[in-house]
Formats: sequence, C-alpha cells, structure tokens
Amino acid sequence: MNPRPADPSRRTLLSLAATASVTAALGSLPAFTASAAPHRPTAAPERVTSSRHLLWWRAPADEHSMIEQGLPLGNGRLGALAGNDPGRELLLVTDATMWTGGVNDTLDADGQFPYGRDDFGSFTLLARLTVDLPGHDLSAVNDYRRTLDLARGVVTTTYVRSGVTYRRQMFASRPDDVIVLHFTQNGRGRYTGSVTLDGTHGETPSTAESFAGSFPGGLRYGAAVTAYGTGGRVRVNGTRIDFSGCTDLTVVVSGGTDYAPDAEAKYRDPSLDPEKLARAKVRAAAAHSADTLLRTHAADHGDLFGRLDLSLGTSTEAQRSLDTWERLNARAHGGAPDPELEAAYLQYGRYLMIAGSRGSLPLNLQGLWLDGNDPEWMGDYHTDINLQMNYWMADRAGLSPCFDALTDYCLAQLPSWTSLTRELFNDPRNRYRNSSGKNAGWTVAISTNPHGGNGWWWHPAGSAWLCNTLFEHYEYTVSRSHLERIYPLLKGACEFWEARLLTTTLPGGSREVLIADSDWSPEHGPLDAKGITYAQELVWALFGNYAAASARLRKDTGYAATIAGLREKLHLPRVSPTTGWLEEWMSPDNLGETTHRHLSPLVGLFPGDRIRPDASTPADLIDGVTALLTARGTESFGWANAWRGLCWARLKNAENAYRLVVNNLRPSVNGGNGTAFNLFDIYEMAPGRGIFQIDANFGTPAAMMEMLVYSRPGSVEVLPALPDAWAEAGSVTGVPVRGGFVVDLAWRYGKPTEVRLRSTGGRTTKVAHGEVSRTVTLEAGGSVTLKDLAR
Amino acid sequence: MRSSPYPALPARALRTTAVLALAAGLLTAAPAAQADTAPTAAPVAAKPFMGWSSWSMQSSKYPGLNPDGDYSYLTEANVLKQTNALAAKLKKYGYEYVNIDAGWWRDKTWKPEFDRYARQQADPVRFPNGMKSVADRIHAKGLKAGIYLPAGLEKEAYNDGKSPIWNADGCTTADIVHGDLRTTNGWDSSYKLDFSRPCTQKYIDSQARSIADWGYDFLKLDGVGPGSGKNGDQYDNVADVAAWNKAIAATGRPIHLEISWSLDIGHAADWKKYSQGWRIDTDVECYCNTLVSWENSVDDRWDDAPAWTRHAGPGGWNDLDSLDVGNGEMDGLTKAERQSYATLWAIAKSPLYTGDDLTRLDSYGLSLLTDREVIAINQGDAPPAQPVTPADPQQVWAAKNPDGTYTVALFNLADAPAAVTADWGTLGFTGKAGVRDVWNHENLGTRQNRITQALPAHGSRLFTVTPRGGAVTTTAYEAEAPANTLAGNASVAGCSACSGEKKVGNLYLGGSLRFNDVVVAKAGTYQVKVTYVSGDPRSLDVSANGGGTTRHTFASTGDWGTAAGVYVPVTLKAGANTITLDSGSGYAPDIDRIDVPKSA
Repeated sequence: MNPRPADPSRRTLLSLAATASVTAALGSLPAFTASAAPHRPTAAPERVTSSRHLLWWRAPADEHSMIEQGLPLGNGRLGALAGNDPGRELLLVTDATMWTGGVNDTLDADGQFPYGRDDFGSFTLLARLTVDLPGHDLSAVNDYRRTLDLARGVVTTTYVRSGVTYRRQMFASRPDDVIVLHFTQNGRGRYTGSVTLDGTHGETPSTAESFAGSFPGGLRYGAAVTAYGTGGRVRVNGTRIDFSGCTDLTVVVSGGTDYAPDAEAKYRDPSLDPEKLARAKVRAAAAHSADTLLRTHAADHGDLFGRLDLSLGTSTEAQRSLDTWERLNARAHGGAPDPELEAAYLQYGRYLMIAGSRGSLPLNLQGLWLDGNDPEWMGDYHTDINLQMNYWMADRAGLSPCFDALTDYCLAQLPSWTSLTRELFNDPRNRYRNSSGKNAGWTVAISTNPHGGNGWWWHPAGSAWLCNTLFEHYEYTVSRSHLERIYPLLKGACEFWEARLLTTTLPGGSREVLIADSDWSPEHGPLDAKGITYAQELVWALFGNYAAASARLRKDTGYAATIAGLREKLHLPRVSPTTGWLEEWMSPDNLGETTHRHLSPLVGLFPGDRIRPDASTPADLIDGVTALLTARGTESFGWANAWRGLCWARLKNAENAYRLVVNNLRPSVNGGNGTAFNLFDIYEMAPGRGIFQIDANFGTPAAMMEMLVYSRPGSVEVLPALPDAWAEAGSVTGVPVRGGFVVDLAWRYGKPTEVRLRSTGGRTTKVAHGEVSRTVTLEAGGSVTLKDLAR
Repeated sequence: MRSSPYPALPARALRTTAVLALAAGLLTAAPAAQADTAPTAAPVAAKPFMGWSSWSMQSSKYPGLNPDGDYSYLTEANVLKQTNALAAKLKKYGYEYVNIDAGWWRDKTWKPEFDRYARQQADPVRFPNGMKSVADRIHAKGLKAGIYLPAGLEKEAYNDGKSPIWNADGCTTADIVHGDLRTTNGWDSSYKLDFSRPCTQKYIDSQARSIADWGYDFLKLDGVGPGSGKNGDQYDNVADVAAWNKAIAATGRPIHLEISWSLDIGHAADWKKYSQGWRIDTDVECYCNTLVSWENSVDDRWDDAPAWTRHAGPGGWNDLDSLDVGNGEMDGLTKAERQSYATLWAIAKSPLYTGDDLTRLDSYGLSLLTDREVIAINQGDAPPAQPVTPADPQQVWAAKNPDGTYTVALFNLADAPAAVTADWGTLGFTGKAGVRDVWNHENLGTRQNRITQALPAHGSRLFTVTPRGGAVTTTAYEAEAPANTLAGNASVAGCSACSGEKKVGNLYLGGSLRFNDVVVAKAGTYQVKVTYVSGDPRSLDVSANGGGTTRHTFASTGDWGTAAGVYVPVTLKAGANTITLDSGSGYAPDIDRIDVPKSA
C-alpha cells in the first residue's frame, strides 16, 4: 500500500521535478515533466476485480456521442474518452492544462470580464487517436462487450469475430504518464490496420508519431504515439502507423503542454518542449511490455481506489444480469432499489476523481473530458458552486490526495487574482465595487481560468467560498502543512472582506451590523443587493476559519482578533415572516425563482456548519431552512439535485436525500437531465440538448457519503440519514471525517453494528448515532471499535 | 418517380363525342388477378422480382451522372452499359430485369414525344434505335426488359382531342377523357381516363400492344392513386390498373405490372387483383448529391412496411423501391445502413432491384447484393417478416420459415450504437435455439432464451434461429374483461378482427386500461404480447404495478379493422400484478388483449 505522502509542497517539487533525487515524492510529481523511473510493483498478483466494481455495456460509443457514450480514462492530468468500436477505436485525448486564452485583464464596459474562447479561453482537446481495424466492423462481430474496471482503472473491450475472441485493454497510467492500448486475441486472429494521431486545432503533423502546436495565448503543446506488436509488421506510412499480421499490438500515447502553475513565469515553462517530451515518454514506456505497464498502473490506481470500500446492500440476480445501461433503466422504470448499482455509482465518482485530479489542474466543469473544442461555459472553473462541489467528495470518499490539485491551483492563481482585484475591482464601472472605496486582498469572478484570469461577472464572495473549501480539507486531514499553504489565501480573503463590509443598522433596531456590499445571490434575483445571505454566511465561516488557522499556526494574532471582532458584528440572516423561508436578500419577499437551481442562502446548512438540526440552532431557523429547501423542490438537475440531497442529509431526512440521489440516477434520454450511458451527468440545456457537467458525478456521491457519516471537528455521527433502501445491511470502510479520523462502519437493519475510529492526527471526538454518543480520545494512529452505539 | 418536372399544360377547349358506353360492371366482375392475366401466360411474380432500375441514377445530383441536365442519364448507351454489368456480375444470383424508368419518351428538356396515336414514343436522342432495339439487346443477354408509363392520358398527348386511337375506329383522344378534362395522377400531369367510354380501354390496349410488340416484360405504371400523394375520385386510378391488367392479358405476352407510389393500403385488394407489385412508400431516392440518404427516405420503410406485410405473397409483393447499396459513396450511406437496407428488403420480401451504377459496385456493395443466403431468404417460400416488437428505435422482425426455423432481424434505428435483443419468447418458444449469423456466414452455436448483439447506428443483424426448446404457454387477458379498470374516455367497442369480438378504444389524452390481476408464478421480465388495432402509428405507456412507465410506439396495422400483435417486456413480481396501458399525453392504439407467458 502507498500511504498518503506527507504533504510535500507543490512549489518545491516543481523546481525539483527534473531531478531524479526526489523519488520518495514521485507520487506527487506534476505529471507532464520529465520524471524518474516509475515504481514498479514486484510480483504484484493479477488482482481480480469484484463484479461490484465492474461497469459493463453491450454497445460501443457513437463517434458523435462520445460525451455520453465514451468511457473516461485519466491519469490525473492526461485524459481520454474511448469509443471502443471494434473496427475503429477512437480516443479523444485531453490534458488538463490544454487551454486557450490568457489573463484576460481588460474589463468590458460594464466593469465585468470578457468571457470568450479567445480572451478568457476554453478547455480544449489535445489530440484524437484512432486505431482502424478494417473488417472488424461492429456488424461483423458477435458478443460485443466492454467493461470499465473501477478498481484497476482499465477499460476492456471483447468481441468474437470468425471464432476468434479479440480483446483490447486500455488505461491511463500515472507512473508512466502515458495512455496504453493493448490489443490481444486468443486464437488465430491477426491485427492489421493503422494508427492515426491527429491534433484538433488544425496542426500540421510533424510525422505520424507526433505533432506540436501553440495557441495565440502562447501555450505550446504536443503529443506523440508509438506502436509495437508481435509476429507482424509495424511501420510508419506517411501520417499514420500501419501494422499488419500482428498477434498482439500495443499503442502508447502521451502529450501535454508547457503550462506551469507559476504566476511569475506567466504560467509557462519555456524550457519544456511538449512534443519532444511526449516522444520521450512514449519511447520510455514502450521499452516495457503492456503487461508491465498495466501492473504498474493498476497498483497505482488501486492504492487510491482501495482506500474506501462500500456496500449498500445486495442486489438481486436479475439486477446483476443486466448491463449498466439496462440497469439504470430498470432502476428508473421498476422503481426497486439496486444497492450495488447505487454503490457503483458512488465508486464511479471516485474513479473519475482518481482519473481526473492528480498532479495537474483541478477538475473543471467537464472534469478532464471533452468531445469537442467548444464546451459549454468553456469547461472552466465556476466558483459559485461547481468547483467547490467537485471537491466535496474528495475527503468524504477517501480521496484526500486528489484534493491537492485544487489547493495547488488556488495557490498558483493567487498572485494574479490578487493583482486583478487590486487593479480592477474598484473600477467605477463595476457595480460590485466596494462603495467604501477601500480595496485589499483578493477575490475572483464567477469563472476562472488557469492563466490567472477571470471571466464573466465579478463574484465577491468567491474568495470566501474557495477558502472555506480549502479549510475544510484541513479539517479532514488536520495537516499543518496544508494549513500553512492555504493561510495566505485565507488572510487575503479576510483582507478583501475587511475592506468591503459596510456598517448599517437594521430597521427598528439600534445595533450596528456589518453587511456585504452590493452583490448578486447566485444566480437569480436582484443584481445589486446588500447583505445577501450567501455572502454573510460565507464570510462568517471564513472569519471563523481564519481564527482557527491563526490559532493553530500561531500567526497574526492581532489581525485574527480584528477579524474575530468583525465576525461578531456580521449580520446573520433571519427567517422571513412573509414566506416562512430563510431570507436570501435581507428582504421578507421572495425576489427570485422559487425552484431556482442554486441553494445559495443555504450555504450555512451545507457545506457550512452554522445551521444544524440540534440544540445549537433555534428551531425557527431550522424550520425556515427546511421550508426554503422544500420550496426549491426535488426535480431540478444534476448538481442542483446533489446539493439538495446534501442539505436533506444534513437535516437527517433520509428519504428526501435518497430521492434526490435516485433522481440523478435516472437515465438521460434524448439529452434530458440524468445519467448518460457512460454515467456522466447530463444537464438539459434546452429540449433535446443535453450537456455534460461533471459536478453531479461528485456531488451525488458526496450526498451519499453525507447520508452515511456526518462530521465536523469534534463531532461524528454515523448513519444520520440512512434510507430504507440501504438499511437492511451495509458497510463502509475508510471514511475520513473532520477532526482527523477515519471511520469504518457496518450496519444492520438501520443500526450501526460496529464503528471503528482510527486517528489520522485527531485526538478527541464525539461519536454519535441518534441519541447515543461516546467521546473518544486517541493517539495519532490509534484506533477504537465501538459496538454499542445502537443501544 | 416522385418529382419529375412535368410541364403544366394550358387548359384546352373541351370536345365531347358521343360514344357507346362500355358495359357497366365488366371490370369489377373480372375474376382475381392471376386468373385474369390469361391462363396462357407464364406465372408472373411467383417470387419478388430482381433486377436494376434507371431512376436512382437519373434522379441523383451525384457528380457526373446527369451531365446533360436533370434525368439525362437515361439513354440507350447507359442502359446497355448497365445491362452488360448486370449480366456479368449479378445475373447468376437471380437478378434479371433491366427496367427503364421515366423519360424514355422525353427529350433532355423533358418535352414528351408521342406517335400519331397519342402513344409515348422513344426520344430519338436518348434511344436512337427505338425501344424495341433496347429490349432485344437486353434479351440477348438472357435478361428481361422493363419499361415505364404514367397513369392517364398525358396532357401533351391530348392534341386538342384530335389524335386517333390506334385500332379503334372513330375513337380519338377526346373520347377517352372526361368532358371537363379533369386531371389525374400524382403530378396532375395527365387527363383522367373515363373508362365508362368504350374508346378508353382501346387506348390502354394500344399502349400495351406497343410495349408487347417491342418485347417488354415489365411495366411500371406510375403516379397511381389513390396514392402517389393524392386521394379522392379524381385520383382514383383503380380502373386504370384494371384496364392495364386486361390489356396486358390481351397481348398474350406475360408482362409484370408494377404500380407506384405510396399506394393507398385501403385499396390493397385492388392492387393485389390487378398488379404484381405495389410501391408502399414514396421514392427512396433523395434527389440530392447521392442516390439516397438514410433519413430521406430509406428509414421510412421500417415504419410503413408492417401494415402491408399480410398483403404480400406469390403473385404480388410489397415494393420498398430501389435497393441502392452497391457503392457506399454514391449511395450516401454507411456500411451499417447499407446492410440494414438490404436486410429489410430481403426479409420483407420486397423486389430486389438496385438503382446503383453496376459498373462501379464496391466490394462491400457486391457482397451485399450477391449474398446467396440473404437472397434465398427473399426468394424462398417463407412469408415476409414482420416486427415482433414495437416500432421503437431498437426493434426485432421475424418470419417463421416452412422448415420450422425463424428468420430474425435485429435493427437499431437510433443514431448511436445500441444493444438489441431478440428474446425467443417473441418467437413463441423458449429455451435453447441454434443461431446462424446470416450476413457473416457463421454458426454462433446454441443460445439460451435470447440473443443480444451490439448494433451500430442504423445497423442490423440477420439470423436464422432453429428452436430446440418448447413452445411458450400463455394466459390471455382480454381488454374488454369486466375486471379491468378503464380510465379517462377509454371504452369497450366491437371489433370483428379481435378475440371476443371486442376491444378497448378511446385511449387518448390520459385514457388508460389496467389489467388488474395478472398472475405469474415467478418474478421476472416477461415478454407480454399486446394485440392491438391502429389505423396509424401510435404510442402507449406500459407499466406494471404502478411503477415507472416505458413508452413504446406501435406501427399502424393498416386500418381500424385489423389487429396485430407485438411483444413488450414487462417486469412482474410473483403472484398478482397489474399491467397498465396508458395513452399518456397522446393517442394510443385500441387494445384487443394481452397474452402473458406462464414463465419468464
């Protein structure tokens, strides 16, 4: 097993990346740099994956529906959607840093940011790989099947043609930093065909084996491929690689950009030649057999995947006999729970995070996967829910190392975000500028890119929410080094808000309170409202987190006292006497859309901790929150449903939370809301036009975990919202909880039968189920098993 | 032919001539078609005919095909070139007809030419040696020759009513049409013939005589109504078809009469009586840069063929139009689409005539056109296949063969690959069956209960299935049973085609039918046969025990007096279940009954 590395500083590693002396920290190397030899497992047994972790289908993808039918691969930065057609394998290859655009620091006439594919930029495809096998047309083969092995990170396609079973396996290896396709067969079959690697931006191919290109914004990129086989002939033929008569064939692809997460270097590494590096990487990998590459990859992937195991109950044999798409349909049409499918959906979210968030930029709106170069909203980082939601699952589902990509990103952007804030936020044309005239710290716009740039409208509360998300990761890991890294972000956000808060007196009262300046509660209602609940709650939490950080690090105690004083004076929202809902705009009236997708005024319920269904929170506030959540409904889409599910889990309403999970599991038909063939979450933009947004693929599993285990520092509650569908018997192991522990949990008939708590740095916490609770104190690394929580 | 540019003819002064009335009832009293086509003639259309037709290439804007203007491909030289290619490449597989389509009597500006008897005559530029010479050259290759005419008296042939009718003393063109010169056929390009006038049959006889004298073996009569986009008395050409049938018989030459297009299924009995084949749909050609395209309109046939299935058989066949699968680039279709196209035509027992350039068949196209097993399905003794599942994007068609095997085709009409399953229950048996993959010429061994295959977008598979298990036993639940619950406007109605002579209808806008006590021993997914009546394609939401619904589309059964059955999968629990058939927000077919297998 590979224990989590001890929080190496990303920036340090970047400077060391090319040296071979950092082998101990290899697991955290940014991938597209020269790297030392991968760690190869010695005599690793071929692990057999449980059928619980196998998704399978009986049809390949359509070349024009890859976003719904392609199977995702990824090594954390290098990704692909694979079509798996027998006669024409297609991989749409991505690199997380493959972005057009730039810093985008010229405001539009309204004081907001341009938001186009040239100025702000867009996430785009790196390459397109095809492997043509004439004669292997889908119509000419039998018993086609493809599987996604979540535990090993491998896509396998099998089919029979003229009595020979053909098998192809593919995976994206982080240790070797390549994508590998391995074609084998079990009889007298031979592989004859061609491999083609193309760019998608009109590049002129250098050779069949590689190409290079650059964007107007200066980003340079390149990709390379090689192929080798047994028993036949492989040779370059013009712009493709031909192979003939091979009993097996291995194709290796890599590529990347000269992006560097360094504001001072303007986010480029001028010493990096992407095409050359890609060629070196495929050459290095091709020195090994496909089996060796697979074993190395599976061990690396499996170490992360295996951290959390989950059973929500046993499915029927009839359910197990269905392929994944049929099973989703049966779940929706028959209405009977399918606990193994539901657990697999959660594990699929974990698979996507391992594949999409390691060693490079964080998961964007599309994660790491594209089917074209014009993704909706540029495939960017949306800071008013989507980016945060992408990472709610990381710690909750045992993937804390995958969180680091978000931290690294924010740190790398901070200098640019700070200078943009200082130079542009108080522009007189910006309706959200600080009316105090003061300006300090940093914030972001609703959209951010990796070039230090903002897009679309200013989002004053964005800095607070990003910081709270980063701080929550500290609460899970209690890692001092993480806290040290994010401290400048927290402090800068506090400074921003110190300069921005306005003093006012509430009507009918005399007490002075602090409220946020003019802002838009995402993404409805008045554009300029002061004291919106969203901002008040986020800043209240930010100030609290800052105090905790300052105390732990023993830094800036004077400034921490100032911030604590401001926090005392922050206005906190009340319940409207008119609607009975928690107010969103310091107004008793409903100024927005009742069933709006965002739950902005509920950030204090989730992800915040201020509003809790226990004695700490007045009953009328709980009633107001519940009434607002009820009014928002259960028939939204992807991330909006996931957030609702998280909130209902926090309110311990298991059946409402479960209903929202199940709503997201509905199959997407004709672009409708729901889960696509490949389990990507689809949002119906317009009738018949669905788009992929990955947040629900993470938010829904986060809600499922939140139904099983609730935590905040010093307090853990098991099975707070266990639905009937999962109640009979289940277990989950390896669940990190806030305060620095990991929980293993088993239940029967809705009651915990065994709860094991292991310290990963935490000391004391309360552990509860329902009305029963225990206080546990552990040494770091120590553990305790509780069997009496159900009594 | 759908859209040929017949020039409009200015209205002429009407001329009426008193003539003897033909004995009323003569035509309608005629015996059935085959008996009527003269006992001396060899049997025609015992099997769907096979061959080539000129229209696909004539109608296409594919580069180079029609350099001298629209439809200009049709020339003697080109017909003979295709004749030679047909003889060389396809004849040995059974292809024998070379069919000349519209325009042989029109110049390149589409101006028609007639002889002094108002009969179409060869354009001397297109056919410098006349029509007989072409037929002779076709015959010399051991092939049969086909020719084409539109229904009615073409306006340009009217000649102010002055042209005499051949071999009909005193008859002129004025004596064969209606006094008001009402027009007819799918393009209103002809004056409607008045068969109450004795001269009229003489005109048809004279045309038939020409064709027979030239040596043609086949006639396509086009623009026939009701059909060809027209209906009403003015466009009722049943009498024309009957007259042709009679005229052909009188020639003594066996000439296959094929009628076109989109013929009215309500007149199927007439078409069967007087012709040997009828186009059920609009032109398959796209009139675009390729010969055809999937959406315009190859794929219409899956929706429209089922209602016609029962009308096809020896002597007369459902004509799905040209089979243009021989050259992928020119056809404008993917390989998968071409295979599906060939599969449906074969199993529906449509005539197999290609419209491709036979000099440029690609190897895949040649393999599709010359697959002996597939041709044998088309030409064999089994009835045409029909759908056993609803008309959903994934569908299964089947026919039971005389030897007890089944021809089973899977289709994926969706725009993306999908798995398609043929459940043996939809064929009426259960357990094991041997499966032969027809297109791939492979035996796939024994399969239990079903076969599932991945199909590409618009793709297909074709199997011969040999049952080795037992028959499915079912329990019937009549829709009209009093124990059922009807909701909305649903009501019981009489139905002579239905079991119990009753059905439940008025299933629209929320109307529903619930079977309340469907008992099965074990939980599982059952193939429930839904027998229904529907004059047009309609949809139905099917659910069990109040669970989620699945919407299925049901093909037209042809009219509101004909029942058909298809199978829908329904998941039931052990014991008593409810099954609900709900119109939802639309219009649903009338329901005769459901049959539920006793075991899943």
